[in-house]
Amino acid sequence: MKHSFYPKLAWTGIRKNKRLYTPYILTCMGMVMMFYIMSFLTSSALLTSMPGGDIMQGMLGLGVRVIGVFALIFLFYTNSFLTRRRKKEFGLYNILGMGKRNLARVLMWESLIIAAISLGGGLVAGIVFSKFAELGMVNILRAEGSFVLTLEPKAIVQTLLLFAVIFFLILLNTLRQIHLSNPIELLHSENTGEKPPKANWFLALAGAIILGAAYYLAVSIENPIEAMVWFFVAVIMVIIATYLLFIAGSVAICRLLQRKKAYYYKTNHFVSVSSMVYRMKRNGAGLASICILCTMVLVMMSATVCLYVGTEDSLRTRYPRNINLDVSVTTLDRLEAEPVEKVRQLASQIAREHGQSLDNVLDYRVAAMVGYIDGGRIDVDQSSIYTFQLSAYTDVWQIFFVPLEDYNRLMGQNETLDPGEVLLYTTKSNYEEDSIALGDGEPMKVKKVVPDFADNGVDAMQMIPSMYIFVPDFNKTLQPITNVANWRGDPVIELHWFYGFDLDGSDEVQVQIQEELQESLRQLSISGGTSWGGDDFTVSCEGVAKERAGFYGMYGGLFFLGILLGVVFIFAAVLIMYYKQVSEGYEDQSRFGIMQKVGMTQKDIKRSINSQILTVFFLPLLTAGVHLAFAFPLIQKILVLFSLTDLNLLILVTVCCFLIFAFFYVLVYHITSKAYFAIVSGAKGEPA
Amino acid sequence: MSILEVNGLKKVYTTRFGGNKVEALKNVSFTVEQGEYVAIMGESGSGKTTLLNILAALDKPTNGIVSLDGRDLSKVKESAVSAFRRDNLGFVFQDFNLLDTFTLEDNIYLPLVLAGKHYTEMKQRLTPIASQLGIADILKKYPYEVSGGQKQRAAVARALITNPRLILADEPTGALDSRATDELLRLFSEINRKGQTILMVTHSVKAASHAGRVLFIKDGEVFHQIYRGNSTNEQLYQKISDTLTMLATGGDRR
Repeated sequence: MKHSFYPKLAWTGIRKNKRLYTPYILTCMGMVMMFYIMSFLTSSALLTSMPGGDIMQGMLGLGVRVIGVFALIFLFYTNSFLTRRRKKEFGLYNILGMGKRNLARVLMWESLIIAAISLGGGLVAGIVFSKFAELGMVNILRAEGSFVLTLEPKAIVQTLLLFAVIFFLILLNTLRQIHLSNPIELLHSENTGEKPPKANWFLALAGAIILGAAYYLAVSIENPIEAMVWFFVAVIMVIIATYLLFIAGSVAICRLLQRKKAYYYKTNHFVSVSSMVYRMKRNGAGLASICILCTMVLVMMSATVCLYVGTEDSLRTRYPRNINLDVSVTTLDRLEAEPVEKVRQLASQIAREHGQSLDNVLDYRVAAMVGYIDGGRIDVDQSSIYTFQLSAYTDVWQIFFVPLEDYNRLMGQNETLDPGEVLLYTTKSNYEEDSIALGDGEPMKVKKVVPDFADNGVDAMQMIPSMYIFVPDFNKTLQPITNVANWRGDPVIELHWFYGFDLDGSDEVQVQIQEELQESLRQLSISGGTSWGGDDFTVSCEGVAKERAGFYGMYGGLFFLGILLGVVFIFAAVLIMYYKQVSEGYEDQSRFGIMQKVGMTQKDIKRSINSQILTVFFLPLLTAGVHLAFAFPLIQKILVLFSLTDLNLLILVTVCCFLIFAFFYVLVYHITSKAYFAIVSGAKGEPA
Repeated sequence: MSILEVNGLKKVYTTRFGGNKVEALKNVSFTVEQGEYVAIMGESGSGKTTLLNILAALDKPTNGIVSLDGRDLSKVKESAVSAFRRDNLGFVFQDFNLLDTFTLEDNIYLPLVLAGKHYTEMKQRLTPIASQLGIADILKKYPYEVSGGQKQRAAVARALITNPRLILADEPTGALDSRATDELLRLFSEINRKGQTILMVTHSVKAASHAGRVLFIKDGEVFHQIYRGNSTNEQLYQKISDTLTMLATGGDRR
């Protein structure tokens, strides 16, 4: 029965090392499942046919690639644990007369078995869960889905191909390792002595300083644009600092503790501290990676969840009313003339035809310009804007001039201003000066900064902050610059009339009204074009109902991506911990055996193990929590750029994400410490 | 007064499926007096290691009594066994059993730390022991940095530092070269002269020839014993060799 010999040997090998292979196979299955689901969703015809679905699939397409690459790296990494543990077994086979060729055959069979199990199981799970995922996405897009289980042959083939390649590469890598080593090395590969780690004070200190600087940066930045620019700098600093602190800092701290004799020579601390030094030396980089992975997951999940939950808010900020009309003219007198009145009439007429009335009418004039503000003076020339440095980004503003009467009417206020006085309202940033001048004009005194004004979509679309200047005499203030052209020859100032209103009809009715309105407006501008002076009149019409699907497609896609990737990364982080602990368990076995002989009680051993596992496990989680807390102000400011301003929502979501994450973490901690105890106490019965 | 009394000791191992029973110790009785230096010899499989494990309270006998200072080991509560071992017994192993994550100094302190002793007291205790064993200069080194002989001397220091009633040595010279062996045996004799009771299990005739009394175990029973009397190490060596020859050849009394 020579033919069944190798498969049998391979199968026994896997079964005998259950504790190592079960999590590995489960990981493989999980990866296959996740990849299939992602791949399925991107190619699902049902989703493509839905409004917003194509946007969502575009987002997920990104996720497919991320998961593919991640699966390769991650499976390689977990497999290296397996190979290390099994080298001894292979060494024994080798000495017993099995050539490397025979070993290769055993390994090949092993890979085949593992690949078959994980691909089979993973695909079945993937097909089942892909339906749930699809329904979830359909739900996010606010559509109805059927409960028919569908297969996507393209996705299956893609999954099979990718993982076949990954398993093949892993096999090659294992064979390479076996091939390069000789039997004696194979037998002894596990217990090679290692030097006690030395504390690198310089690196530890550097880590602390960099981390402090990054934290300071994160907390001190006030401006959303600066936040965007510095976010990546801060992220890189935190990553570097985390690695330095985990690798050098932890050893340094242990060394410090060892120097404090009164602390060190205590039953509780003695064993734990001295083994922690080695543990951190070996695992510092791994733990730092886990910490960073955790932080990334948390930031990603809280941001995407927040964006998704806040989609309606964002929509409202971007489209202040259900239907928004924007009439753009070139001369000031047009703002009060015929076209404006015509548009007003048209809107209410069409709404009436559908049995709707106009609610929450937003009706105001505005003059908009982009300005570089320097020392309380708006630079009308604008040439400097295009040569400015990134650091001066904060001084570029979107400026809106609004008549005071419109402000009072819209906000229900009764403010009065003397000539030469203005009211001010800013978004995303603060204006510090107490007067403002337009070009070479007289400085206008800022009488008051008001807390609120109607949203307009322009502000929501831009990264730069907006400044609303409410002036008592609109025409007089703007007259001097209406005909000024900037260095490109375009007029510096654009004159607009905003007209928006809410409708209480369903989305379908709203879309219908919007379309009719657009058609009438188009004809209006053709027929009335000449009488009003030709092309100096344009009007745009946007409706929130029509854009909603697109928004949900994007934010929902991000949300879904965040969740799926989050799950994969949590899975990965947790599994790495498990393998680390288990492989350390084998190394610690003999150590705890000795301690028991010298008179350490079972209870002492348990306590010492517990404190060590706790530290190793929860250090990354805690650090991730601290990172997240410090990243919070930055995230909040960046989300403002996505027109999400609900601070409470963000706090709630972030805390929830952290708690859910911690819950899974604790779960795995329990499983792991159990496995670890089982391994370590396995040594206690052996004779001296 | 005898420090250790072993009476009618019997140990039966049952194989995993309950089928075969293996009798490792049949009926072992002997006593060790305060300040004695006893070597136990026997072939592989004669039950030496089983005996030592039972004496160290690492294993329980099927039958019979072991009492240390008149205290029955089987009466020591399970939870107190570790503390009992720590306070009353010192161990020296063939493969040293030093922890590679500790310096030699910390390895020696280990039992005291577990007993909750203060650092200054530990330091005081270590100083004379370290100079006696000649390891004062290498205390800050790690096990992997020193030779086998030095490791074993550190292990002896660890056994001595708790002032144990009895030192149990399991093939202490087994992993040492001949120079280190001589040095260790000299140290053992010196420690013994200062009043320390030592019980050593060994294969080596040379090691046994340094003892004050040699017990021979065969087939789970104490077969014979030799007292040093006034003999020199060399004379005792000869006697032991002769006894072993007799044991191996037709000298079987049954």
